Amino acid sequence: MTSWVDASCIIIVFLSLIVLSNYRVAAMIRVFSVQSFVLGLLPFFLHASSISNQDVFIAFVTMVLKAVLVPSILFWAIRHVSMRSEVKPIIGFSSSIIFGAMLIAGVFWVSLSLKLPGKPVSDLILPCSLSTVLLGFMIMVTRTRAVTQVLGYLIMENGIFLFAVSLSDVMPVLIEMGILLDIFVAVFIMAIVVNHINEEFEKNTASVSQSKMGETF
Amino acid sequence: MLTLLILMPFLCALGVFLPVSKDFRLKLFLVVSLCHGLIVASFWKQLPPGEYHGFLVLDSLGLIVLSIISFLFSSVSVFMIGYFKNEPRSNRVFTACLLFLLSTMSLVAVSYHFGLLWVAIEATTLFSAPLISYHRNQQSLEATWRYLLVCSVGIALALLGTFFLAIAAHNVHTLLLPALLKGASSLSTNWMKLSIIFFIVGYGCKMGLAPTHSWKPEAYGQATGMVAVLMAGALTQCPFLALIRISQICNRAGLTEFYSSILIVSGLLSLIVPAMFILGERNIKRAFAYSSIEHMGILVLGLGLGTVGLFGALFHMINNALAKVIMFLTAGSVAQKYGSSGADEVKGVIHIYPMTGVFLIAALLAGTGVFPFATFHSELLILNAAIISKHYFLAAIGVICLAFMFIGIGRIVLGVIHGHPKEPVLAKKENIYMNAAIVVTVMLLISIGLWMPLPLEKLIHNAVTLIGAVYGTV
Repeated sequence: MTSWVDASCIIIVFLSLIVLSNYRVAAMIRVFSVQSFVLGLLPFFLHASSISNQDVFIAFVTMVLKAVLVPSILFWAIRHVSMRSEVKPIIGFSSSIIFGAMLIAGVFWVSLSLKLPGKPVSDLILPCSLSTVLLGFMIMVTRTRAVTQVLGYLIMENGIFLFAVSLSDVMPVLIEMGILLDIFVAVFIMAIVVNHINEEFEKNTASVSQSKMGETF
Repeated sequence: MLTLLILMPFLCALGVFLPVSKDFRLKLFLVVSLCHGLIVASFWKQLPPGEYHGFLVLDSLGLIVLSIISFLFSSVSVFMIGYFKNEPRSNRVFTACLLFLLSTMSLVAVSYHFGLLWVAIEATTLFSAPLISYHRNQQSLEATWRYLLVCSVGIALALLGTFFLAIAAHNVHTLLLPALLKGASSLSTNWMKLSIIFFIVGYGCKMGLAPTHSWKPEAYGQATGMVAVLMAGALTQCPFLALIRISQICNRAGLTEFYSSILIVSGLLSLIVPAMFILGERNIKRAFAYSSIEHMGILVLGLGLGTVGLFGALFHMINNALAKVIMFLTAGSVAQKYGSSGADEVKGVIHIYPMTGVFLIAALLAGTGVFPFATFHSELLILNAAIISKHYFLAAIGVICLAFMFIGIGRIVLGVIHGHPKEPVLAKKENIYMNAAIVVTVMLLISIGLWMPLPLEKLIHNAVTLIGAVYGTV
């Protein structure tokens, strides 16, 4: 099953690159949803034959929360405002891909010197998760829209989770649930704040100009 | 008992959403805070046994943090009764979030598992965010957004640090603190170092250490005084507790020097940065926020400076929290009276509101560490530790930065106290609840500055022994 694990790791990194190079917010949210789904499948490939009930449960919760609920909250957050597309990122779309590719190369080079103790299933998990974290970070700092910044944060979290699936025995199920719940609540609160910001913005700019609505925030 | 401590505020927070009156919510919050205080006070006699297979344990370190949290919530709950008399807006979400915050902060103080610790600290971020945007105008929403985003990312890095710690501890197979301490010698050094860096960046971000402090002036400047008290006094102690727990492991694993050198550098940065920015500040709350960054720097410095510094740091945790109560509650009461906390709008406080004027002077002295306030002693202890461990340069920079802070805050506060009001303000009566909360804290801070009670000294000594600092040339 190692080849399946490798393939999913690479797919996860590619999907983050797609989000980085995309400018339509709805498409970005869908790509994120697919990425979370792949992440949820990973435990089945990792512990193919001997998967425990715990792991099945966590994978299931991950998929429901991250691939279904979180995207629908984000869609709810963008439903009013004319924020269908990212306006002016700090770094252009084509140059962000080049930077992203350089980041990935850098991470793969650095992680050569990091040895996971024990016998890891796949050598790709560590570099792929670190690249996803950094790509998420990059989305966050180079995009100006609130929703895209949340997406960057979520992709970063996905990167961290990719790392976490390789060490399932240290975290009790309850705490892992707590981590997932925290992230879910975080997105929920962020969506509410985005909504408030939009309302406030519309109140203030309604008379000035309609076109600026929802920009910056 | 520990479960009760966490569950009671949590259930009451859910109860707040029932259709009850505004006054009832305030009274409920007061009762819950006082009950919490009573339970914590009973722990001073006898520490309770651990619960849930050692996941929830209260040690003397946790007791210090828990007592700070409890005291701060009690004084804020008294202050709130006065504050909401003059505030027309609903307080439903506000009170609920405060109660959730009390519950999650208590969980931080008693959690003995690094994963659980992370979950609790992240939860404190989430429940404090809606509190900042209580006034719901554009600035406060922007401040909330910045706080949420910066702290969530920081905390996410700390989660990565937690997983790195799990890899370093792959022989131990758990992240429970006692097991980690026992197997400290078998931890993988390289992974441990990596995890330490992520922990400091992540939890440092939540504490507001420079250079990740940018959310602090915004958030404290926009939040009401009560929220700023809880954030500056109690919320920042939670990630600091996590850093202390890591130092416990480092001391056993022989990584003390590595850890303390990072702590000293980040502490020094957090001393210098606010000293640079304070002189240009024109808002009381924002100036106090810079002072909070400074104090976080002092705490981290103390943690990095061996046994004497550690004693100073733990003592400073308490003093800093009490000083923050005086500073931000006074600032909040000024802001409510004048409708602003900008130094240009607020003038002549001592002529119109004599009591509040005196409190502002007390806030200035307590916040900048002037005798007889106890902040003076703890800052002196930490400077002393720097000199004992032969960091003369560090001590010199520390003194200079503290002097800058004194000048900066003094300039704003004295300008606000004296001077002539722009237009004659109709003086409202001062509120007894608001003033009582501040007076009690001032007295407490002065009295532990003059005489340290024996139980407190014993508690801090126990905590220092627990951390097991054996480093430095002490």
